[in-house]
Amino acid sequence: MEEQIDLVGKAFTDHYYHLFDNDRPALSSLYRPSSMLTFEGQKILGVEDITAKLTSLPFDQCQHVISTTDSQPSTFAGGIVVFVSGSLQLPGEEHHLRFSQMFHLVPIVEGNFFVQNDIFRLNYG
Amino acid sequence: MDPDAVAKAFVEHYYATFDSNRPGLANLYQDGSMLTFEGQKIQGAQSIVAKLTSLPFQQCQHNITTVDCQPSGAGGMLVFVSGTLQLSGEQHALKFSQMFHLMPTQQGSFYVLNDIFRLNYA
Repeated sequence: MEEQIDLVGKAFTDHYYHLFDNDRPALSSLYRPSSMLTFEGQKILGVEDITAKLTSLPFDQCQHVISTTDSQPSTFAGGIVVFVSGSLQLPGEEHHLRFSQMFHLVPIVEGNFFVQNDIFRLNYG
Repeated sequence: MDPDAVAKAFVEHYYATFDSNRPGLANLYQDGSMLTFEGQKIQGAQSIVAKLTSLPFQQCQHNITTVDCQPSGAGGMLVFVSGTLQLSGEQHALKFSQMFHLMPTQQGSFYVLNDIFRLNYA
């Protein structure tokens, strides 16, 4: 069961960052009206506003490189909390930005999840 | 009650206990609690406190930089913390990120259901 959680968490984050780096508007498929994002301290509610925020970030291209992924069951009826750390490469920028992010994934149907909670922070220094 | 204030109060209490009375952390976990500490998975209050009290330093001080929280549903609260960890005798502080999933207790406070800790290396 534990290994299953790790596989699901990793598969989800791989998919999430792949969409982010290649087709950012498609991230809307991963959020719902009840979803919450806190992005560098700014709170955003609902799939529409969250997608608007993520597609309006001040860079056209980016690449997430994931260092660590930790997952645990959240006991929210099959929910999973996932904690990610990694770096974000922006084109033209010499130095990667380091970040940490947590997701609370809630199942829709068997094997499918949406992001109920999303908190993103850059790691400075 | 303001969720942000509740999260901040919990975080301050957690790290104050960690830094001054580490065995006291037992009050903040239950049998179903889970900790992933630098990739190592530990289950249950007893094993979690055994891990935290056996970390290879006697004294430490957590300095919190950011605290973000969101309701997780069913009365739970997700808290995302970043900060630094100063170990006595070490010149440089370690940077860390940690997430807690807090669930309400019958007494009106919270316990830690999920806890994930990672150092942030340069």
